[in-house]
Amino acid sequence: MSGFAGKILYVDLTSGRIEAKPLQADFARKYIGGLGFGTKIYLDLIKDNPHFDALSEDNPFVLMTGPTTGFRVSGTARWCVGTKSPLTGYWGDANVGGFFGARLKFAGYDGIVITGAAKKPVYLFIDDDKVEIRDGGKYWGKDTYETNDEMLADLKTEGAKQGEVLTIGPAGETLVKFASILTRKGHAAGRTGMGAVWGSKKLKAIFVRGSKKLEAAGQADLDTLRGELKEIYKDHISVEVLKTLGTACHWDAGLVSGDLPIKNWSQAEWDQIDEIGPIAYEEKLKVGSRTCYGCTVACKMIAEVKDGQFRFDKGAGPEYETMCSFGTMCLNSNMESIGKANDICNRYGMDTITCGSTIAFAIECFENGLITKEDTDGIELGWGNAEAIIAMTEKIGKQEGFGKVLAEGSAGAAKKIGGNAVDYLSTVKGLEAPMHDPRGAHGYGLAYAVSPRGACHGASLNFSIEGGNMYFPEIPEFTEEFEEQTSEGRAALNVACQDFGMFFSSCAVYCHLGAMPMTATQAVDLVNYVTGFDYTIDELMQLGRRIWYLKRGLSNLFGARAEHDKLPRKLTTPLEDGPTAGSVPDMELMLKEFYELRRLNADGLPSTEILGEMGLEDLAALLYSNGG
Amino acid sequence: MGTFKDTEQLIGVIGGFIQKLADTEAIAEKMVASNLIFRMVYKDPEGVIVVDCSGDKPEVRPGDTDTDAAITLSMGADIAHKFWFGKVNLTMALTRRKMVAKGPIPKILKLLPVIKPAYAMYPKYLEENGFSEFNTY
Repeated sequence: MSGFAGKILYVDLTSGRIEAKPLQADFARKYIGGLGFGTKIYLDLIKDNPHFDALSEDNPFVLMTGPTTGFRVSGTARWCVGTKSPLTGYWGDANVGGFFGARLKFAGYDGIVITGAAKKPVYLFIDDDKVEIRDGGKYWGKDTYETNDEMLADLKTEGAKQGEVLTIGPAGETLVKFASILTRKGHAAGRTGMGAVWGSKKLKAIFVRGSKKLEAAGQADLDTLRGELKEIYKDHISVEVLKTLGTACHWDAGLVSGDLPIKNWSQAEWDQIDEIGPIAYEEKLKVGSRTCYGCTVACKMIAEVKDGQFRFDKGAGPEYETMCSFGTMCLNSNMESIGKANDICNRYGMDTITCGSTIAFAIECFENGLITKEDTDGIELGWGNAEAIIAMTEKIGKQEGFGKVLAEGSAGAAKKIGGNAVDYLSTVKGLEAPMHDPRGAHGYGLAYAVSPRGACHGASLNFSIEGGNMYFPEIPEFTEEFEEQTSEGRAALNVACQDFGMFFSSCAVYCHLGAMPMTATQAVDLVNYVTGFDYTIDELMQLGRRIWYLKRGLSNLFGARAEHDKLPRKLTTPLEDGPTAGSVPDMELMLKEFYELRRLNADGLPSTEILGEMGLEDLAALLYSNGG
Repeated sequence: MGTFKDTEQLIGVIGGFIQKLADTEAIAEKMVASNLIFRMVYKDPEGVIVVDCSGDKPEVRPGDTDTDAAITLSMGADIAHKFWFGKVNLTMALTRRKMVAKGPIPKILKLLPVIKPAYAMYPKYLEENGFSEFNTY
């Protein structure tokens, strides 16, 4: 089968059973790849028993590549993971870059499905057709960087080709609710606690090495498209800024538009903001850059601080999200400490958005007397106290002292802290909002509220389209010049962004950064040239729609309802000044329109009719016969 | 029909406003700190304005096509007008090539917060300088 490796690996950690099942062509066409495959397989696995804890052995874990992963086109290195999230209790997923996805396909697998749980720490060894569950005790307790390096060294002599390691750190092992999974010491499946699910399964890592070649159905067409894209990328401003600044390139535009959150979403301006912007990054942190498989954009920064209390070894530098979550959100103007916090999160394996946001939340609780130094192990949690921020980040990673409370994420911590701690949350469905303010672009608010995994700017293409990073002139809903602070028309926009976004981000798993310059036609053509399918944009939007309902339905199955489709008070309180002064999204309007368009009932469940039209009768039966 | 009827009007309004920014101490200081030379190239109607921040104070030179500029920003005149109201999504304008920027991008981006105060100044400038007919976008 062209484009795909042709097999999905099923690994049961309880029994030790390993099976490679062929990928069926009609399944591949219908579900495209990535989380298209992942959500369908996941649903089929749980449908007889959909009620279980995210950290129980009954929670399957899916890891899936896209049809174009491994074909050396910029923006196509990504792959994704999905499972029930221990942080939110709903569907959780994450996209990851790096080289792991390509290597997995070279080994002969489009994805891996992991079920059960091991009794002792293990790692999964994959070298082409040789797949083994091996003793992982040696690596248990080590951070992700140590594990990566040691495992590669240990397994180097077993094969000729280069291997890749995907690993959790101590945070995953100790079940920090927002633990991540990392590859190549800096590409992270960051959000929703995927690492904790591995920890609960005693799965430390996956090593993969492969020697097979992928075949494109239309190699000549693929080569021509590659050439076209190469020309476009030479001159494209987004490529240029990403190459130079990484995701920090969004900083100044975000500041001017009011997109960038300050002081736990409560402030519009900050006179120290230049201390931690992209220029400070270049001066104080950046020592180089690196890329993902086959991508010429190379937007990943490499950072180092050689001396001082926040020193850290050369490694992955903080992204824009981390600069905000540990920087502006905490009024922390110390650039080096932001790099350090990023390093700690990477090594322990923790989501930087949730970690930084949770610390910002804790600072606000501290300021308002809900917690004291007695609670925080003597740490003075104050705005801009870089030492305290770093100390608390470490404590979270170790699940030590007050770090144990914050390891629940901010929503879980709020329950334990009590009082009016919930007023300081920035979560939707338990997931902290990313660093893009919906008061500046109202459609983001709807996107966060209805995203199946919680507040997320990557769950659809809404951030990219309404924010202006991407432009698909072929799709009429995307061609408007969006005025930034209105809620009119944003429901329809979100629907289109979800439909096309499910194809683009979740199934084809294109990178929102590396694939930014592509048109919709090129994105579709690329999949067709690789697979030999003959998708059209319209068909892919229909297929994407089905995947959206699958994700939505899984969250509904796990208990998500209309009452959870809402923004926290933090994001609906207008700021008094700044670019978004007085502006808040009209959630009532947008939700009403969205529910009508998506045919969700008053409970927030998709109607049986729409699920039937989507071919999701199984899901409908589960949602309605069991009461969800 | 666009905002400006001809080059003279474009330069009079937009050029005049850029001169005002150059005369505003707090903004001028930061422009000079950038040490950059910009060329703004407009169309519909056509026009060129160079902003030279390489000296002790910013110099605004309409029609200058000779000076070697580190940064060139090309855009329609209507976009330029709307930009100074703070109503252009810069990211979107660049992505859709309604604005084209050439030059050291980080330095261009760094100037955004510097010129942010201009957004509140523009409507006032239009009213005070007999350009109230343009106080809309």
